[in-house]
Amino acid sequence: MKKILGIVVLVAVLAAAIWWLFIRHDPVAKAEDVAEAEAAVTIADYPQQVLWGDTHLHTDNSIDAFGFGTRLGPDAALKFARGEKVTATMGMEAQLARPLDFLVIADHSDGLGATRRLYDAPRFMIQDDTLLRWHDMMQESPEQSQLAIAELITAASNGTLPDALRDPENQAENTRNIWQAHLATLDKYYEPGKFTPLAGYEWTLMPGGNNLHRVVMYRDGYDRTSQILPAPALDGNITALFDHMDAYEQSTGGKVLAIPHNSNLSNGLMFELTQADGGPMTAETARRRALREPVVEATQIKGDSESHPFLSPNDEFAGFGDVGWEIGNLSLTAFKEDDQLAGEYLREALKRGLSIEQQTGANPYKFGMIGSTDSHTTLATGDEDNFFGKHTGNEPNGERANAEQNLGTRVGRFGWNYLAGGYAAVWAKANTRAEIFDAMMRREVYATTGPRMTVRFFGGFDLGETDFAGDWVADAYKGGVPMGGELSDEGKAPQFIVSALKDPDGAHLDRVQIVKGWITADGTTREKVFDVVWSDMDTRRSVGGKLPAVGNTVNREEATYTNDIGAPQLQTVWTDPEYRAGQNAFYYVRVLEIPTPRWTLFDAVRFGIELSEEAQKYAVAQERAYTSPIWIGPAPAAP
Amino acid sequence: MTLPGWTREPLVHFLLLGIALFLFFAWKGEPVDPASRTIAISQEDRARIALTWERTMQRPPTDAELDTLTETWLREEILYREALRLGLDRDDAVVRKRLANKMDFLASSIAETAQPSDQTLRDWLEAHPQRFADDTTYSFDQLYFAGKSDAAAALERVRDDGDWSGLGQVIDLPATREGVSSQAVEKQFGIAFFEALQTIEDTGEWSGPVASGFGWHLVRLRDRAVGTVPAFEDIRDRVENDWRLATLERRKQDAYQLLRDAYEVTVEK
Repeated sequence: MKKILGIVVLVAVLAAAIWWLFIRHDPVAKAEDVAEAEAAVTIADYPQQVLWGDTHLHTDNSIDAFGFGTRLGPDAALKFARGEKVTATMGMEAQLARPLDFLVIADHSDGLGATRRLYDAPRFMIQDDTLLRWHDMMQESPEQSQLAIAELITAASNGTLPDALRDPENQAENTRNIWQAHLATLDKYYEPGKFTPLAGYEWTLMPGGNNLHRVVMYRDGYDRTSQILPAPALDGNITALFDHMDAYEQSTGGKVLAIPHNSNLSNGLMFELTQADGGPMTAETARRRALREPVVEATQIKGDSESHPFLSPNDEFAGFGDVGWEIGNLSLTAFKEDDQLAGEYLREALKRGLSIEQQTGANPYKFGMIGSTDSHTTLATGDEDNFFGKHTGNEPNGERANAEQNLGTRVGRFGWNYLAGGYAAVWAKANTRAEIFDAMMRREVYATTGPRMTVRFFGGFDLGETDFAGDWVADAYKGGVPMGGELSDEGKAPQFIVSALKDPDGAHLDRVQIVKGWITADGTTREKVFDVVWSDMDTRRSVGGKLPAVGNTVNREEATYTNDIGAPQLQTVWTDPEYRAGQNAFYYVRVLEIPTPRWTLFDAVRFGIELSEEAQKYAVAQERAYTSPIWIGPAPAAP
Repeated sequence: MTLPGWTREPLVHFLLLGIALFLFFAWKGEPVDPASRTIAISQEDRARIALTWERTMQRPPTDAELDTLTETWLREEILYREALRLGLDRDDAVVRKRLANKMDFLASSIAETAQPSDQTLRDWLEAHPQRFADDTTYSFDQLYFAGKSDAAAALERVRDDGDWSGLGQVIDLPATREGVSSQAVEKQFGIAFFEALQTIEDTGEWSGPVASGFGWHLVRLRDRAVGTVPAFEDIRDRVENDWRLATLERRKQDAYQLLRDAYEVTVEK
């Protein structure tokens, strides 16, 4: 009997060996298929259609997302993004009315998969008291689990994480397994020309709770990205990240970029005038930063970082999505002083860039703008009527709008402070990894707070008049530069072409503005917002430099609006009337929609709840798009 | 030799695996007998421990290190056995969940690693053609008008003399599209327009006014190419991915059902 069984076992072992050696699924072979499919995609002469995506999504591999309760992984994230129906963690069915064109899953590199392992670990195996307590809390209930993760985030920002979680050596093996499996999954869902997953992760530097997070994003597939591990951040600094990126490019020949986000929670540290160590910023640091960080996330669930009323008192539309986020840093361990705001908001950062350029010759903050979600539910939802929450604890339910949302801290933020998130709009020549990445490198991208409006923005000196018929876009590419580009000062006023087409399934447009920032010879930075084209220009006339409001059609009882006001499309050619020769400046476009209901109002109707007085006050908003700037400065000296 | 159909049944695989495991353990004896206080650490065990270390540290352990590792392993093993003796595994939600997960994993891991034959995948493609069919594509011309009455008036004109040049208002949408996918039409023109387009006949006649999020359109649908299923060779990878994901789920469920059927469950309410 034993003999027969022995033979059976031997045969099984042989079969397993054959499988392993010859027919196992092989990610490297798969990479060759990917390259072939990429090569078959047609690359247009210039970008024809905008691609919509999210560069900032968390799945159950993220230490906090899992702790908050998410039990959906990268497969679900990719299926959902490309338009399939999935069941959310809390049991609801979820589907996008309109799929996305690309997705970057950006799980935290620190402790990649660690909470899932902690949760799964047998109790008696956990030796650390803190870990054991978190383990038990995670098992106990979703509420306790969230509390445990809030403690974990605070510990991370205070540098008091248990050794088992911070030690990179300890984590390396696990990280490698998860990272490589993840990269293989991305290739599985990649359909060049149709749907593009890009490799990336979130790098979570957070000194004292001040948010210095970056999303790191790769241009490459498995063959290159599997050669490295995501860089840990907890004990790091930004130079270490840039070194890591340099090393990747040098050793693999690949390309990588970083996207700062939630500068609004950095307590002034994201866009400093000085070096991180306090000294004056050097030209080398400035150049490195501009090279490594071509785009910044301007808007997402945890607030909008474009502008702040304190910095832009004359801009009546500054302050979108700032409430709740301006009181302190990410973990709310430190409150915010007014003088810290300048290091946090993008418009001011663009101005600071001009300042540093005047002093050093290099501009560290020459970035484009995108939006994303930062959703921790594995579901990339950026629309108001399908907001699935920041984390599983606030997947749609009757309480979330009014609830305190302070993640373990005891001050100040509420459910309604969260935005529904935004999207990254990319003018790429094809839907492939390389084309999307390259578009970001040349900053030919823009941010929206959710709606998918189509925005074109060109600058030049001889663009001429256009009737916006025929091939005007091709002409504009020939005669000028698109958003993200640079113009060399020719001693005459720059000319700009703007075209904004509404979201076909969204609200009409109120107005298009050009935001100009510049620096004078004595080093003072200034800004001005110009209304350049708006709906009903015949009847809506500017009074004392201010345009009357577009009106409001929102029905608060039913969470509806009508497109009786505003315009489906706004286009114009604009020449800067206040141009001064030799003055360095940037120009970017802000497109405003007519007022529409926010997710809180949809919730109020759906669940029949009463919004708190403050939540009610912020239940209607004008959603918007921000383009990357076009800069004008002295022509580079001849070599 | 062709194998009979039942040999391809996942249920049969699962049963065979179960029998093999059962027989294997019956032959070898319990791997961890809580009652046993004999522990023999073989050369193979030590090699395995060394290998785990090597994968993490990128070098083999020294003899001293290997001894320490073995000691650590032994400590765990002894505590593990004693924990089993004390019954610590029972009524522990984590252990319970962990073991349940492993059972699930066991059922699905075959599907995860199995290499399906071309025939299996061809059958799969035949059974689910709609998942792989190319998008229906559309070729059409459109004219845009802000107001419905303008659109209606223009429709009469274009029907009278067939000349549509110069008609319509300027908007940043293409007047002519050739062979674009449903998804692209919906993305560019919106859901309302796309739904209307589906109801229009591809006769090449102008029709409308059709509503969209932008306003009103006159539409001339010249061609609607209903999607075809690509040749198997061209989409083998896609079929395999789809087959794998679906099979994984089904095997988990089948395996569970098999076990579930053997239980009699009463729930007091």
